[in-house]
Amino acid sequence: MTKVHLSGVRKSFGSFTAIEHLELTIESGEFVVLLGPSGCGKTTMLRMIAGLEEPSAGSILLDGADVSNTPVQERNVGMVFQRAALFPHMTVEKNILFGLSVRGRPRGEMREKLEEMLEIVQLHDFRHRFPAQLSGGQMQRVAIARTLITEPSVLMMDEPLAGLDTKLRATMRRFIRDVQKRLRLTTIFVTHDQAEAMELADRIAVIFDGRLAQYAPPDLLYKRPSCMAVADFMGVSNIFPGTLVAKNRVESAFGQLRVDEQPRCPLGATVSLMLRAEAIDLHEHKEDTRFQAIEGRIVERDFLGASVVYTLECGATRIAVSEPSRRLLDVGRTVWLDIAPESVWLLSH
Amino acid sequence: MSSPIPPPNSAPRLFQPAQAAGRRPALGLALTLTPIAFVLVLLFGGAMLLAVLQSLGFAPWFGVNTFPSLTYFKALWASQFFWISVGLTLYYATASTMIALVLAIPLALALTKAFPGRGLYDYIYKLPLMIPYLVGIALAVLMLGNGGILSRLAAYVGLIDDPGQFPAILKTHYGWGIITVYVWKQTPFMTLAIYAVLLGVDRNTEEAAAVLGASPRAIFFRVTLPQILPGIVSSSLICFAFNMGAFEAPLILGGGFPDTLPVIAWRYFNDADYTLQLQGMAAVVSMGIISGVLLFAYLAAYRRYEMMIGRV
Repeated sequence: MTKVHLSGVRKSFGSFTAIEHLELTIESGEFVVLLGPSGCGKTTMLRMIAGLEEPSAGSILLDGADVSNTPVQERNVGMVFQRAALFPHMTVEKNILFGLSVRGRPRGEMREKLEEMLEIVQLHDFRHRFPAQLSGGQMQRVAIARTLITEPSVLMMDEPLAGLDTKLRATMRRFIRDVQKRLRLTTIFVTHDQAEAMELADRIAVIFDGRLAQYAPPDLLYKRPSCMAVADFMGVSNIFPGTLVAKNRVESAFGQLRVDEQPRCPLGATVSLMLRAEAIDLHEHKEDTRFQAIEGRIVERDFLGASVVYTLECGATRIAVSEPSRRLLDVGRTVWLDIAPESVWLLSH
Repeated sequence: MSSPIPPPNSAPRLFQPAQAAGRRPALGLALTLTPIAFVLVLLFGGAMLLAVLQSLGFAPWFGVNTFPSLTYFKALWASQFFWISVGLTLYYATASTMIALVLAIPLALALTKAFPGRGLYDYIYKLPLMIPYLVGIALAVLMLGNGGILSRLAAYVGLIDDPGQFPAILKTHYGWGIITVYVWKQTPFMTLAIYAVLLGVDRNTEEAAAVLGASPRAIFFRVTLPQILPGIVSSSLICFAFNMGAFEAPLILGGGFPDTLPVIAWRYFNDADYTLQLQGMAAVVSMGIISGVLLFAYLAAYRRYEMMIGRV
């Protein structure tokens, strides 16, 4: 269990700056996901922590010790690559044992640990196979075992599930989470998939253009994004302009809405109202609403299986509402939207 | 009203033309292979057969027909000079292949990296590929000979009193000149072959090995080298086979008697007594046998390795 700290880290390649003055702390045993679009610098961050890239400025600390100039071989970190990067000329066993073998560990210890790893990744039956004879999921499991056997202080994964199909991704996510919890390993996981980030992370660091946009637990990130870019990336469908007219009241296309107190926004400020589609309740009768009722007409219905997404027209504005598909409301019908003050989140400009 | 959905069996129709042409690929393949089969079987195979027959004493057109007899082989193999020639031929072929390989591997690895002047380097290293061997030999004479540029330069700067005192590089049985020409010509070829294989190697495997604690040396020998082995084997095989049979460099730059096998064969062919051609054929066939056995053993060993690492 190791604490990772990036202090004022910058990385440029020629005239291009990949990482801009980054401050980030990953507590020991924590599972942190670096989330951001392709090319935002998240892989570069990982490679710098691993020692595969050198920071242009700033330092990287593992448990307080500056490792910025420590060669990759001596950092004792683990890295799982996107395409597994298994050694194609070695069997599963030899791949897993590589890290111990280059360290010259005794045979007995290697055997013992190999069995332990094969148990963790459930690949006993495949131990004599070569990587080319494995499926994508099995390859990633070997890559994970190969990394874990060296008992790294930090486990890093660079989009390890990118090449797998949806069902396998789900299984692998659970597997990775289980292993991480069991070994209580400080883990940094890179992805551009926000659903994956939410499922895995204790905390998510959202990176845009080499800058840390927000660093928060998944629920907070989801409900309280720090800026429009984060809200947009997290898939918020309803964002409307508004003006803060009182400390808990905002003027918008739906008229005045009651909101929770927004200490961050000054009175009279132009804001963006963010409404999560699933935080809005739909009622067939106005009397059933509890907070503030807005009339709307269903113009579109998207059935997604477990949930159903309606597009409603409220005056000149369209808004998306999602609810469990236990009931289905017909297109064309008029309903009442009920918006709780705490479900409105304001983003200042 | 007809259904807008096509009947389920209509989709595979797309593939039917290809299925109908099922017999054609065999014909196409046969047509494609005919020219190479012609060259291999008739021209090369026929010549091989003739060479073997001649070496066994069959040459009625020269008025010689002692077939089948091993006279020519016996005459050749009984001479100790023949075995010195074999040793010399193997030495030149092996040494130059190994040296070229040792130079080509780092060159190929360098080509995968970005560095200032890479474009120029990329162009220059291929130059010897475009220049014929004979020009290379001429350059070696100009540069390395006792009246060559190096010797004159050494005399000029006062390292030696006279260019004639320059240590002999050419015309010795160490064959430095021969090896230099082979290495000069074949290093780029090997570099190209290994580089092509390197392009297909997942370079993340090297990074993964580094993160797992492997030293640069361990990464090279345990991760990179096994992955570029196909390029090493194929290019060294081709170069070795060529060096075994090449004759102009040993003839011009070699130390004279005893010569390499191809030069011996050439001297027999060139003799005024054309019946000596049969003796020459025995030398050629001997050379073929030695080279064939060695390359077959090399390939068999490599194949075993490939099986061990699961590639076949």
